Amino acid sequence: MATGRYVSDLDRGDVLGPVEYTLSPFVVREYCHAVELHHEFFQGVENQIAPPTLIHLEKLRLYRHACPAGTGPSARVHVEYDATFYEPVRVGEPLRVGGKVTDRYLKRGRDYVQIDMELRSAMDGRLLVTYRDTVILSYQPKEAAA
Amino acid sequence: MSTELRIGSELRSAPRPMTRERMRWYVDAQATVAADNGRIATQDPTIHDDDDYAKKQGLPGIIADGMISTNWIMGLLLDAFGADFARKGKLRTKYIAPIHENQIVISCARLTSIEKASEGDTAFHFDVWCEDDSQVKLTVGEALVYSSRR
Repeated sequence: MATGRYVSDLDRGDVLGPVEYTLSPFVVREYCHAVELHHEFFQGVENQIAPPTLIHLEKLRLYRHACPAGTGPSARVHVEYDATFYEPVRVGEPLRVGGKVTDRYLKRGRDYVQIDMELRSAMDGRLLVTYRDTVILSYQPKEAAA
Repeated sequence: MSTELRIGSELRSAPRPMTRERMRWYVDAQATVAADNGRIATQDPTIHDDDDYAKKQGLPGIIADGMISTNWIMGLLLDAFGADFARKGKLRTKYIAPIHENQIVISCARLTSIEKASEGDTAFHFDVWCEDDSQVKLTVGEALVYSSRR
């Protein structure tokens, strides 16, 4: 297991979470404001839902939980977002997110890490969103950084 | 959605420059969502808001977080289909080129197929991408939208 320290330590098979939390109206509005999603179903007051893209920040929630020492020596670069949304994520609903490192591999001198995540209702276990996140752990290839 | 969609129909956003501020809004959103205390939070320097830090990481300067272009593509489809796309669907985006400060970004979607889905919905399949003002693709992917619209 490579959890407990840096994100850059993560390796295939590592389990992240689960973590339970509730999305506040504030964080959904602020996130949507930042990415210019000015739709009333995100920014309004009644029946507010979260954009399925917000699950990417739930990965950071899992990182903070599983890797409390932080990122590691280099900045990560996001490579791919791949999400399936099954039901709306409602603001105020208790949620549970968990993930697993499904792959870590070297390609053209760069370390790739792939994480599969599930976001479920914490009340009844309904599957809301699945997400596959792929990052490289450093923009600089290993030979260039050496 | 007032325009009828056919196979090959394209949705395109207005051109938007990827300004330094747009990059920083996303950086601040990360810290703000994590803190969730009703105030705007900030974080340590990142490759998205600090040129010196980005250069130390081997980049020529700050680059945009890929999730900005993902969200702009999401917004394009939300504008067309409303909340339907936030409730059920798929979106995959791959960042094939870095987006630099003030680079123009246009979000695009081309309808590739339509099929009947369950519960009276129609499934709309799109190729999606972001391109610059020279039509160079920066982000590519696919989307699946379920909608009661036909």
